[in-house]
Amino acid sequence: MTEPKVAILIVTAALLVPASRGGLAAQLVSKIDAGQYSVSDGVVPMSTFRVSPAVQWLTPYAHVTARGSAYLTDQQVQLADGIVSGTFTSPTVYGVRAEMIGNASRAVDDRSLGTDQVDVQTRVHVLFHQHGGVWFGGGVARPWRIAVISSAEVADAGAWGKIGETTARFGSATMTATFTNFSFSKIASLGDSGSATTSAASACDVAAPSGVASSTPLRALFSESAASVDACSRQSRFADLEGSVHWEAGPLELTAQTGHRFGNAYDVTPDSRQWSSASATVWLTDRVAIIGGGGRQPALPLRGLPARSYGMAGLEIAYSPMSKSAVPVSLPHAVLVHSFEMHTAPSGLQKIVIHVGGVETVDVMGDFSDWSPLTLVRRGRDLWELSVPVSPGVHQINVRVDGGPWMAPPGIPTVRDAFDGEVGMIVVQAPKSDR
Amino acid sequence: MSIRRPVPVANVRARVLLGTLLLATLPIASVAAQELDPLSKLDAPSKFTVQLLVDSAQAAGLPSRALMSTALEGIAMKVDGKRIVAAVRREYSFLQTARASLGPVGDEELTAAASVLEAGAKPAALVAFRARQNGRSDLEAFTIWADLITRGVPKEDASTAITKLWQDGADDAIFHSLWNNVQTDILQGLNPGTALQNRIRETPGRAPPGPGKPPEGQQENQSSK
Repeated sequence: MTEPKVAILIVTAALLVPASRGGLAAQLVSKIDAGQYSVSDGVVPMSTFRVSPAVQWLTPYAHVTARGSAYLTDQQVQLADGIVSGTFTSPTVYGVRAEMIGNASRAVDDRSLGTDQVDVQTRVHVLFHQHGGVWFGGGVARPWRIAVISSAEVADAGAWGKIGETTARFGSATMTATFTNFSFSKIASLGDSGSATTSAASACDVAAPSGVASSTPLRALFSESAASVDACSRQSRFADLEGSVHWEAGPLELTAQTGHRFGNAYDVTPDSRQWSSASATVWLTDRVAIIGGGGRQPALPLRGLPARSYGMAGLEIAYSPMSKSAVPVSLPHAVLVHSFEMHTAPSGLQKIVIHVGGVETVDVMGDFSDWSPLTLVRRGRDLWELSVPVSPGVHQINVRVDGGPWMAPPGIPTVRDAFDGEVGMIVVQAPKSDR
Repeated sequence: MSIRRPVPVANVRARVLLGTLLLATLPIASVAAQELDPLSKLDAPSKFTVQLLVDSAQAAGLPSRALMSTALEGIAMKVDGKRIVAAVRREYSFLQTARASLGPVGDEELTAAASVLEAGAKPAALVAFRARQNGRSDLEAFTIWADLITRGVPKEDASTAITKLWQDGADDAIFHSLWNNVQTDILQGLNPGTALQNRIRETPGRAPPGPGKPPEGQQENQSSK
């Protein structure tokens, strides 16, 4: 067996092993998608079996995600792409939250060429009563191995809103709109006629934006690949306007998105002007789902990837499914919490298990956390867990979903707290050896 | 006529990055400073009073952690400083009363007994819990007691029922079973007092011996499904 095969098999097996042992500080979640994948771009086989593992390390204020995909062709496993992403989030203060995001990714578009990219971005979110919000931010993306593209400045803004409830007859829908502007220098060469870039002969004739030297001869700037051709540098800019809807009702999840790319003909190829895609997920159990979808993706000029149509159908196996939504949403109703359990884990920590469906976050807090919120990890479609150190004795605990109001968990004794609210009471027994 | 010089791309990029970084770090820096002192979000007079009460509790051998927890809960709930001080004072008073009723017991028992008093039970009712078998815990009994009063069971009825069960040697499982049955009846619309009276009649005072007793592991802590 070849080394990549062994590595992929090990990673795949590891992702299905229950991973949470970290207690309060950090949790690990993971999933694997596997299925048939068809694509029109010609850089991967037209139809191939594809495996996409993903793993996420979560702390209250930091997320690190690693995911990738590999496809099986001619009895060989071929890596397709991979990304490692880190997000640091500040606490929410008066509805305002800041994020710092860093990504390092690789996309392999054939067996000999891979493109790498590192990008850093900051965002500021403003939340409106947990049912909607806006964000804005900016950053820099640095592509590697694409000699004709400089670092790109990225500025984005977006808004989101949620209507309905998952438990309602027609479920809930989250709508998101984003506007992202890319600005970068592109070296257009006379020999360049790829679909992701444009004909240099024409591009070099275009007047560059104010302040940017247009049609600068580049022989002096590039000593390697670009030095041998006639080329010019020009400032490129395009902007993507995207809208998406995620609808969730019972075991069914549907996501549809569409977009339009603004920019002149030298920066945007005709096949990347508009795109749409859709996907569906049907949960068979808490941890197994059938997934399917397809559509069209625009070109990624920074990665040198052309526009493509794709279709996929497969199975998702998740020890702990990852959140599919990029924005926080809210369903602040106690009735959604179906059950609450707390028992001693083999590690000696107390394991909190909550069943609540159709929410994005579940938090608990109590005297054991000095009344600071602790975020549970999603372990199944409606299963949330967290292991925390709790000393023996009587403890107070409250729970909230999607940042809504705090409330006593169901199924445990409840008392009035000192501030006219309600709080759950739970007795943690001493270990048998201590009794 | 002024000539506008082109701004170098690198400068624009640096400004954009610096600006967004500053925006992102402002809330982080302010929150990090506050987290050093858990009471830092209280106004100065309230913080001073709470700290005084915590120190007094320590000196008196009362569980000061319970007082600090009350203050931190109030802060988390964004309650006014005066209300937090009042709540901590009240908690201090309940702890003192519980100590007087129960005698020298552990911090956990005192805290649980204070919650019973806060729910509305009379201090005299706690005296029955002074005498206990070695190793027997009254935490579950106190928790259920406080819950029953909170749910609207008449205080005297709840006190009598819990005290009787305790004196009859009921274990945690019996207390929890009683609570589970009563709360189910209340949720179905039965009067809380009636629900307790109905269920207490069918509740055994002492845990059945032998194989009928559920395994230890299943009794650990509490849960709902």
